[in-house]
Amino acid sequence: MSKAAPRLAVKGLRHLYAERPVIEDLTFTLRAGQAIALVGPNGAGKTTVLKCIVGSAEPAAGQILLDGLPIDERVEVVRRDVASLLDDLDFFPDLSAAEHLDLLARAHGNAEPEDLVDTLLDDVGLLAAADQLPGSLSSGQRRRLALATALVRPRKLLVLDEPEQRLDTAGVTWLAERLVEEKKSGTSILFASHDTTLVDAVADHTVALTPLP
Amino acid sequence: MSTADPVDGPVVFDPADFGAIPTSKELRRWMRKVRRGKADRSVWQQFEDIYVVIFALAMLGATGGNVVLNLNDRSAGCTTASCGWLLDTVPLILVPLLVSGMLRVLLSIGPVSASRATGFWLLATPVDRASLLRPSYRLVMVGAVVVGALAAVVGWALFGANWSTVGEAAVLTTVVLLCTACVTVWAQQTGARSRWALRAADGLLVLAAVPALLLAVRPREEGAAASVVLGLSTVPASEPFLSAAEVRLLVISAVALLVAVALVVFTARSLDKLSRQSVVAGGELLAGIAGAAITLDVSLLADVVAGRHWRQVGRVKSRRGRGSRGVAMIHREFLRVLRWPRRLVIGFALLVVPYAVAGTGYDVLVPIVAGLAGFIAVRPLMDGLRSVCRSIGLVRALGMDLRELRVIMSVVPGAFAALWAALATPALGSPAVAFAVAVGMLTGAVRQASARPPSYSGPLVASPMGAIPPGLFSTPIRGFDLLLLCLAPVLLGLSGTWVVAIPAAVCLILFAVNPKQA
Ligand SMILES: Nc1ncnc2c1ncn2[C@@H]1O[C@H](COP(=O)(O)OP(=O)(O)O)[C@@H](O)[C@H]1O
Ligand SMILES: [Mg+2]
Repeated sequence: MSKAAPRLAVKGLRHLYAERPVIEDLTFTLRAGQAIALVGPNGAGKTTVLKCIVGSAEPAAGQILLDGLPIDERVEVVRRDVASLLDDLDFFPDLSAAEHLDLLARAHGNAEPEDLVDTLLDDVGLLAAADQLPGSLSSGQRRRLALATALVRPRKLLVLDEPEQRLDTAGVTWLAERLVEEKKSGTSILFASHDTTLVDAVADHTVALTPLP
Repeated sequence: MSTADPVDGPVVFDPADFGAIPTSKELRRWMRKVRRGKADRSVWQQFEDIYVVIFALAMLGATGGNVVLNLNDRSAGCTTASCGWLLDTVPLILVPLLVSGMLRVLLSIGPVSASRATGFWLLATPVDRASLLRPSYRLVMVGAVVVGALAAVVGWALFGANWSTVGEAAVLTTVVLLCTACVTVWAQQTGARSRWALRAADGLLVLAAVPALLLAVRPREEGAAASVVLGLSTVPASEPFLSAAEVRLLVISAVALLVAVALVVFTARSLDKLSRQSVVAGGELLAGIAGAAITLDVSLLADVVAGRHWRQVGRVKSRRGRGSRGVAMIHREFLRVLRWPRRLVIGFALLVVPYAVAGTGYDVLVPIVAGLAGFIAVRPLMDGLRSVCRSIGLVRALGMDLRELRVIMSVVPGAFAALWAALATPALGSPAVAFAVAVGMLTGAVRQASARPPSYSGPLVASPMGAIPPGLFSTPIRGFDLLLLCLAPVLLGLSGTWVVAIPAAVCLILFAVNPKQA
């Protein structure tokens, strides 16, 4: 019966903001090549769960295991394996869209990222805007660049907070297809979303959260 | 059919139903009350702030005292020719420099400014705009007065003027700066005026550079180096109560003061001509911060200026990177620095400062002035570090930890600092001092650039500006503490070992500690 440890295991997670619980005893597991969607109304704590997983919030109790080991962003392997896109991403104001992707790929050890960057720019529809600085991109284009930053690097676990934000309909369709491909290549995906078509197309399971009183 | 509904047809909007529009005073009082309520700590509970303030005061006191002592020691051998020459030259450098700096800094923050929240919530209401903006305007004017008076007193007193000259210089400089501040408020009304004012600022910078260059290349006569005086002691005490020249200057000062006050009052009348967009400087970067508090955070100010620049540029020619991991990051930093060459040019142009000060013969001042000039030269090259410190999302995307990243991103500025200090070595006197200056300017700039952006979601401190995040009051001197620490052995005249050992230790510790994350 004993299989390999799941890609991500969350056990009894609890989080407090100023003594007030926002997440109470949350447990789920995510296997390789699977996707789980966190759903629930605004304020249900979806972003908070994702923050605990990427290490920018400290859980009050519970365990988060990546491949059987406690997740800790101070460990290099964790930083290498977890690609995330939360609202806290900001860009270098003086590097173009193409240069951002080039830099990120190289920072993760890819010394020849030219083809990858070109394909990805084409995929997210930013080929024409490749030379633009982030400040001059439209908000939807900035969102596409942000998505590309998570896809230009190696990853075993993708953590996305409302990835459909600000995308047009064609963009959401593309995103759904792309995430399904990601699953096929073995990447696990944990994402929060309000878009039912995206959830239906991508998620193997959903975890429903409700705002605590 | 619709008899149940008493209101038939479209709802008519009638302003009369809403009562009188509140005055801005009522609104401000209410905001203040709400903000006070949010604060949950007093200023004195803030250990970090107190540490930095006490530390800076102690260092400044020790340094300043030492400088004055040194200058007094030399006051015996002043030759009138060289003292007079200096006194004639200093205003030609100091005044254009102050006016130019004032124009740039003020225009980059507005100068009349409001937070994005105020812009959105208050300035969009029919409440009288001029009176909403008046506190910010007053702050700008007070700032101009303080800077003008301080700079004039320090400048003229150090370079050997007597007290009445210092006083008059202070009055005149203050008036000039006050008028400059008024001009910036006037220029804020339209983009074209702001651009002209910026051009004028650049012109003044060139104007200030000419006498500074003359000073830097002036051959140092034998003995002249030791021939400068604090002036105060050489003024004969038995002069008549007021000489004719002094009366004349007093009259000029009074007239100038009148003109300035009239201008300030007149400009205040035009505050309602300012557009909301010009007042909410920096746009999204200022999202959280309370209006006037922004002026405390130098790093945020630098972000605003850079952000605006790059938004205007909009598009660049993408350059391919080279290598991978650390090497790629360093290469990218190098390309980034070359992308805004103007900053490099200004950085190297600042080399004239230590040489000019050395030319005056005030050798004790050279290291500290060189350190400050170097800091100003190297700080703009830290934009990359600034970006990663502002966004943990970016750090996560890069897959490195912030400490590692901080070391990598300091390599290019570090090389610049080393080169800069090496080029300044003849003015500084010895390679050991140059080392201290290089490390001081680098570590100071790194510490300042890695400041976390203020966060309003944590604990807040009560202040006259409303509730502000702890640590904000110490941000203006953040970084300068390390600069002073590195230069302390030089300033206190310790031996060569200390001059090298202390900066080396500061450098090692700075890069070894883990920066706090946003
Ligand atoms: N820094 C914070 N301090 C206090 N409460 C917070 C903080 N951040 C989020 N919250 C609260 O925690 C709850 C969950 O927030 P969040 O995880 O962002 O919800 P979701 O992403 O599901 O909309 C909300 O009620 C929110 O107001
Ligand atoms: Mg959310």
